[in-house]
Amino acid sequence: MTEYAAKKFLQMLVTVLGIVTLVFFTLRLIPGDAASAMAGDTLSGEALERLREQLGLDAPLPLQYFGYLGDLLRGDLGETITTRIPIAELLFRALPITLSIALATIVLAVLISIPLGTLAAFMVHKGRRWLDNALTGAAMVIDLMPPFWTALVLLLVFSLGLGWFPASGQLNWNDPSSIMLRLALPVIVLSLSQVATLARITRTAVLDVLNEDYVRTARSLGWSELRVLFRHALKNAALPIATVVGLSFGNLLGGTVIVEFIFTIPGVGNLLITGINSRDYQLVQTLIVVYALVFVLINFTTDLVYRALDPRVQF
Amino acid sequence: MADLSLSSVPAASASFREALGAPFRSGALFHGKVRIALLLLVPILLLTVFAPLLPIQKPLETNLRAMMELPSIQHPFGTDKMGRDILSRTLAGVQISMLVGASVAAIALVSGMVLGTLAGFYGGKVDRVIMTIVDIFLAFPSLLLAIGLVSVMGTGLIPVILAISLADVPRFIRLQRSQVLSLRSRAFIDAARTVDASQFWLMSRHIVPNTLAPMLVAASIAAANAILIEASLSFLGLGIMPPSPSLGNIVRDGQMYLEQAWWISTLPGVVILLITIGLHFLSDGVRELLDPRARR
Amino acid sequence: MNYQARLANTMATTAHTLLEVRGLRTQFQTGSGIVTAVDGVSFTIERGERVAVVGESGSGKSAMAMSILRLLAHPGKVVGGQVLLEGRDINALSESQLNKVRGRQVGTVFQDPMSSLDPVMRVSKQMVEPMMRNLGIKRDEARAEAIKWLGKVGIPEPERRIDAYPFEMSGGMRQRVMIAMALSSRPQLVIADEPTTALDVTIQAQIVEVLKNLTSEAGAAMLFITHDLGLVARFAHKVAVMYAGRIVEFGRVEDIFARPCHPYTQSLLGTIPGTTMGKHERLPQISGLPPDMRKPILGCAFKDRCAGVHERCHAEAPALSDRGIEHDAACWLPKGLDSVAMLAPERSARAVVESAGTDKVIVELNALRKQFSTSKRMVVNAVNGVNLRVHRGETLGIVGESGCGKSTVARLLLGLEKPTSGDIYISGLAQMVFQDPASSFNPKMTIGAIVEEPLVVKRQGNRTERSAKVRELIEQVGLDPSHADRYPHQLSGGQRQRVAVARALALDPSVVVADEPTSALDVSVRAQIINLLVDLKQELGIGFVFISHDLLTVRYISDRIAVMYLGEVVEYGAAEEIFANPKHPYTRALIEAVPVPDPAIEARRINVPLQGELPSPLNLPIGCAFASRCPMATDLCRSTKPQLPNHDRARQVACHHAT
Repeated sequence: MTEYAAKKFLQMLVTVLGIVTLVFFTLRLIPGDAASAMAGDTLSGEALERLREQLGLDAPLPLQYFGYLGDLLRGDLGETITTRIPIAELLFRALPITLSIALATIVLAVLISIPLGTLAAFMVHKGRRWLDNALTGAAMVIDLMPPFWTALVLLLVFSLGLGWFPASGQLNWNDPSSIMLRLALPVIVLSLSQVATLARITRTAVLDVLNEDYVRTARSLGWSELRVLFRHALKNAALPIATVVGLSFGNLLGGTVIVEFIFTIPGVGNLLITGINSRDYQLVQTLIVVYALVFVLINFTTDLVYRALDPRVQF
Repeated sequence: MADLSLSSVPAASASFREALGAPFRSGALFHGKVRIALLLLVPILLLTVFAPLLPIQKPLETNLRAMMELPSIQHPFGTDKMGRDILSRTLAGVQISMLVGASVAAIALVSGMVLGTLAGFYGGKVDRVIMTIVDIFLAFPSLLLAIGLVSVMGTGLIPVILAISLADVPRFIRLQRSQVLSLRSRAFIDAARTVDASQFWLMSRHIVPNTLAPMLVAASIAAANAILIEASLSFLGLGIMPPSPSLGNIVRDGQMYLEQAWWISTLPGVVILLITIGLHFLSDGVRELLDPRARR
Repeated sequence: MNYQARLANTMATTAHTLLEVRGLRTQFQTGSGIVTAVDGVSFTIERGERVAVVGESGSGKSAMAMSILRLLAHPGKVVGGQVLLEGRDINALSESQLNKVRGRQVGTVFQDPMSSLDPVMRVSKQMVEPMMRNLGIKRDEARAEAIKWLGKVGIPEPERRIDAYPFEMSGGMRQRVMIAMALSSRPQLVIADEPTTALDVTIQAQIVEVLKNLTSEAGAAMLFITHDLGLVARFAHKVAVMYAGRIVEFGRVEDIFARPCHPYTQSLLGTIPGTTMGKHERLPQISGLPPDMRKPILGCAFKDRCAGVHERCHAEAPALSDRGIEHDAACWLPKGLDSVAMLAPERSARAVVESAGTDKVIVELNALRKQFSTSKRMVVNAVNGVNLRVHRGETLGIVGESGCGKSTVARLLLGLEKPTSGDIYISGLAQMVFQDPASSFNPKMTIGAIVEEPLVVKRQGNRTERSAKVRELIEQVGLDPSHADRYPHQLSGGQRQRVAVARALALDPSVVVADEPTSALDVSVRAQIINLLVDLKQELGIGFVFISHDLLTVRYISDRIAVMYLGEVVEYGAAEEIFANPKHPYTRALIEAVPVPDPAIEARRINVPLQGELPSPLNLPIGCAFASRCPMATDLCRSTKPQLPNHDRARQVACHHAT
């Protein structure tokens, strides 16, 4: 197990290095550099040169690259170009918010979708399809709704119409109930599509297992259908479900950008949009690396969980 | 010699027609899911194409006497703060959506098939290089990758199409590669190899034709997905920029007036939903037509 | 007295009756209609009796067995009939009441041991919990009992193996676990659904012995589903022959094999090459295909394939009727095909060109070796120094169990794999007929295009010449030329295998390699393909390499046989000689393991199956590869590898102790 984890960890480091490299060179190799993009048409040639020097853009590319890598290794994420605030400081405030939204969503989605998907699979297996048809149809529609639109509709109904949730306002970490109320709607919006995906996967995975020969073996030994469902089917179906939970985290991260924007939540997503709008390449570069890092870490964890669940995999 | 009585296969003529491969020729239009798809997509497509002929305002035309009006006969989707007709703007947005969807699907399909076939068929170094790059790309969630790429390439139609395509191509490469790998070990490939068929022959006659159907299904899902991502990008102000209408930026415009004029944001969203549902049914229907076992 | 009447009579009298099935009907609701898979099946099983149910795929035999305990998954459903277990109708029980019968009174062993055990649960857990419930004992008692059972079914070191996961065991071992599970709650009846089909022949022999001994020891009755008539002869007291969802013949094994009364049983018994049958006799074959079960069947279901068909068969379906003591058949003719003298399945003669005379060598393999490296830097020795020759007009049969390297030899011969060392000489061209008729054709190509492909690749002839040749080939393998426009999925398995033969013949090869060409086919179709291959060989005078695990077929079809074990040829010689007088202990064990469809022969046999399993090909022993399982092994065998003399057409044996 440890050996395997170490190997996977090394692989992950390679991926991360690949990502950093890719992001760095894509940002550098496009025509026009950060300085001219920032400046627009406002600066003269000389002023532009000064800006370049200031940003370290006058150094040869490999030097810039290794300098950047060195900074990252030391934990120095740099400063924003325009406002000169350390990016680490910004992240320290924004990342917990984004991660709380994401985690709350995953927990909520898992709690709803797994029982729902299991029930649908069980009923299909018994030849009753109505719940499955309803679930599949609803999951499809939810999956295809543009997330920003869903968010606006819910905002319209629950915040502006019914007034159940605040639509904006400060996030005060000392007041948990206000935070929960403030983050409830974004979490619900994100959960909708997660529930749709996970319920569908659960349904398929459980149904597949219910059709396996060993389920019939258990039935032939006299176990009841419910016991077979819980003892055999769910345990085996947990493997594919765990994988998908990990993977759908990626979509979830994309979704946080949108809900943070709509509900004006000062998370990483809003930081990213601000960075792009103010053409702050340093900030954008760092944030994209951070997102990828979170995603890669989640996948790494999923992989280990998968291995731990499945005795067939040799370490 | 062995007897000929084996040669009776029931309903020879019907199976013959079926075998001409032509789900597209016979019966396809009457397949349930395809029919739903067409019922959704064809009217939207027709309205979009013939929008200039409709008795509605032009998308960019303002009318200060009809600001933020509720949906009515004149303005079926209502008007916005500058008195522009939302239906007309939505239809112009649909045009962009369709263009984005089709371009992304085409780019992803073609490059995915070429690179995926190469990786799967030749294996070894080619495979390793292609798949390493693919894995790095797949480490980014697709919406975030598109955001990142747009932040580099700038806003506008072409960058948006390229950004979304780049996020999709790795998925297509992976799908094509796994198909090629499973086909490569099939006995009919071995049979062709025993008569020294060239690699080009194997790929063009045996492998590519058998991978096409699932790739087409994936492409229509990718089109729906691309439409959603374009709308999201434009909504975040990173895609198609105003005043050119796109479904995303119309919704964005309306966001500020959500309380006063709910229709600006909500109705274009419904249109996006109808299009993506249509595409989804299309891909499902096509898959069932091409593979009767897919029904479950 | 007809069957039903007699049933009604005997019902009250026999206290020996354990299970009585009456008018069982099972349907599957499919997208294209209702399939009545089991259509009014009735039979009885006495206490301690072993009843076999034989039939081809689709005959409803498995559905019938699963219906007894209602173990069918949706959309299968038992729609009628009674299942009386000790006089109680268990078909009328509720699910929870039936759960008290399942596993407790009736144990079940399934076909595929690889998938029948929960992969993420230890064997101990899967065994112990049902025993605690069914026998009402404590956990450690149950565990001790489970270990005892594992030992009884022949699992070495049961105390240790009980805590293994299923994936850590071979297929044979898993099937032993299944048997231990089924028997551990001391059931009165064991239902075994093709329990050995997925296993190799020597393992099959072991499993069959275990099942037979342990059930009779416990006094349990058994319902044994199989398609292998040889196993029936070895194993069963009584046999039910199923066709299209019904029992067409039922009786004591000796009766059925000696005096079959239903045309289907009669034909089926004829299609299997016996131990003495020569190539000059054609195998009797059953023409046509089983009926489409989605459509209602008018009259007798077998009428379209029956030589004795007459008007009454089209109008009415015959019911089971009395043919002797405990022997019933469902046919209007009292003795089936034997009633009409001319129609008795006769073995038509075939002109045999004496082929052994040609001395031209067309294939020669010299010291052929093939190693595959696995991921962990281990080397699998798939083929380990094979010398073989095929002469013009000769059929070489290669037999051996899975993992013996026979298929790798075929792939090397065809150039699909590169040998690690050694060389291959082929005069002319080698072509292949593949095992699985489903995957050997490109589904997007028509039959015509498939047969034509080799000609196109080799640029032979113009379009018209090629299409003429394609037509000729398709006719040559016994298909109608109109098949050229069809697609593979529109043909039956047997027809596809004919197409595979046509494709192999397109370039006039000097040798055709057939790798298990009949193993995916049903018995009745198998004979058609074997006849075709033998006929073609006589007609064209080409060489054949026939690879199979089916010894009876190999003996029938081959001139010479090579027996392979762990990548080596251990015995080689003329087919009849090898069967009449096997010299290598492995050959002897292999031949003994094969059940012969003749209860008289089987009864005379002393079945001491070969012990143990195939050793891992990862690190081969220095000495004789077979030493680990050989009853005659000595120190010499373990230290020195016995060699085959090179290229001698005479009998060769690689054994220190062969006489």
